[in-house]
Formats: sequence, structure tokens, C-alpha cells
Amino acid sequence: MKDLPFHILLFLASGTVIVTISVMFSEADDGSALRVLPKRLLYFFAGCGAVAVVMLICEHTFASIHWGG
Amino acid sequence: MPIPTEKPGPKAANLGDPNVATLLTWLVPGAGHLYLGRVKFALVAFAVVEGLYLLGVLLSHGMFLEYLPAEMRSRFAGALTPEVGNLGALLFHVKQYGYGVGHPRPWPATMDMGTTLTALSGILNLFVMSRAHFDARFTMEPRAKAIDPATAALATFCVPGFGQFLQKRTGRGAVMFILLVGLFVLGCWLAGGTNLDRERHFYYWAGQFLLGAPAVIAEFLHGHPLLQADVEYADAGVVLACVAGMLNVLCMLDAFAYSEETLSGVPRHPQPEGESEAKEVLA
Repeated sequence: MKDLPFHILLFLASGTVIVTISVMFSEADDGSALRVLPKRLLYFFAGCGAVAVVMLICEHTFASIHWGG
Repeated sequence: MPIPTEKPGPKAANLGDPNVATLLTWLVPGAGHLYLGRVKFALVAFAVVEGLYLLGVLLSHGMFLEYLPAEMRSRFAGALTPEVGNLGALLFHVKQYGYGVGHPRPWPATMDMGTTLTALSGILNLFVMSRAHFDARFTMEPRAKAIDPATAALATFCVPGFGQFLQKRTGRGAVMFILLVGLFVLGCWLAGGTNLDRERHFYYWAGQFLLGAPAVIAEFLHGHPLLQADVEYADAGVVLACVAGMLNVLCMLDAFAYSEETLSGVPRHPQPEGESEAKEVLA
């Protein structure tokens, strides 16, 4: 896979911004926003990782089946 | 949902339905405030919003929808443009100019400035609409001094985090500015500046425009040079710059909600009664 580390870096950068801004929107208080941020980041990246794993599994199973031979 | 009136004061009279005021403003800028009896504000809002649109149309010769390629020219193509915030003007524009004369023609020299002004007019009217809705709902004496919610949101549109800065939430404003402008700069770098062109990326440009001054300044500084080579990460850059603009909407909503919360004393996320009582008991 071409430039995989660069793609992962881009994903981490954009994901961090998306989650941080979302937390600041949902938590009006700065203190509570700071408290929940690590958990939300963890959930987001773990969730995305799980989706990536499922997609890779599908790619290496279903995509290799030649339907109707 | 109306804000509860706990301390009725001189402002407590029912001015009008917030939804009607908002819809009227959407169709004709200022009409909502006229309906609420605020004539001066209505006239100023009408003059500024429609003045910007008119100037934009004059500078762009009414050609902004001609940016769209033939296969994208549907009846509702204008519905995803920033101009839709000023619906009355956009409908008139579509009726008057449509998609042009049917064959490609050169853009006027002031095309970019013109289309930026029509887009700005649409976004500005969204703030006038939110102000009309708030003015109709807010019928109590303010609990504390705070900047008007629509003005705070407008400040955040102009510069990400600026509304929060005006609300004396400097740290939050600085984080928002750094993250969003940083993401936008990353997008521009990846796309080699090709994202900064409404003709090239008609709808992505609309999302990016929501970042306000940083996006507009970057566009006018960079200009619109022709592509000399393939830009490897152009697509990723366009998306990231657009995401930065769209995330600024959350920052605008945060600024609006904070001011409304301060003025009304009603928390943004009220706790269920049982839960707050339980916390008091624990304390």
C-alpha cells in the first residue's frame, strides 16, 4: 500500500480536529471538555480501527470470490 | 422552544412567532424584524444583505451558477450554495440569469469578488435569521451581560474562535482557531491551493467558505493559477479544507448557545430533575 504512514498521519490529524471541536461543542465547560476528550478520542479511533479491520477482512474474503465461476 | 420568562420586564410583551420571523427573514432580509416591530434593524439588515448581493451580481454579471458543469445544472443546484441563505435574492437570481446564455463565455475580471459577495450575503442573512428567531423568543430581562448570540456566532464565522474570544473564553477560542486554521492550511498544502477556486470545486468551496476570513484571504492571496502539474493529494486537500469550514459551524453554534445561556440563565443541556437532586444530596 502506497504511503500508508502518511495516510494514517492525515487521518489522525483530521480525526483529532473533528473529535476535539465536537467535544467543545457538546461540553460548554472547558474543564469537562478536557476530561471527556481522551475518552472520546479513544472511542473514535478504536471505532474507526474496528471498521478498517472489518473492511480488510471483507476485502480479503468476499472480494476474492469469483461468483458464477 | 421559548425561553422561560421568569422575570418579566419591559421587554416581556409577545413580539411574534419566532418561526414566522425566521421564515420572513429567509425570504426577504429584515422582513422578520419588521414583523417583530424593529423597523430600524430591519431596514439596516435589508440594506446590508441585499446591497452585498446586488454588488456581487453586478461584479459577477450574475454568472455564478455558470460555474456548474452542464451535468450538474439541475433545478435545485443552487440549494447547496451559501447564497441559499438569502433565498429571495437567489430565487430572483435564478429566474433572471439562470445558467446563462447556453454556451461558455469568459468570466468578467471581477468574477471572484462578485461571487464571494453573493455568498457572503447568503451567510450574513443566516445570522439575521437567527437573530430574528432569538429576538422573538427572548422576552425576559437578561440575567447577565453578554454579547448577542447572533453577533457572537457571526464573529466566529469571520474568524474561528473570535466569538469565544469576545465571550472571554480565550483558551477555547485559541484552540478552535489553531485547530481549524491548521486543518485548512494542511488541506491547502495538500491540494496545492487548487481547493481555493469556486470554479474548480463549486460545492467544496461552499463548505470551505464557512471558515470565513482565513478562507477568503487565502483565496485572494493565492489567486487562481492554472494547473501546471498533477497534484497527488488534491482530493484529500479539498476534503480537509471543506471539513475545516464545516466544523466552524459547530464553533458558531457553541458561541450562539453560550451567549443565549448567559443571557437567559437556562443551561444548554439541562440535567434531568432526579439526577440534579441526587447530586445535591451527594454533595
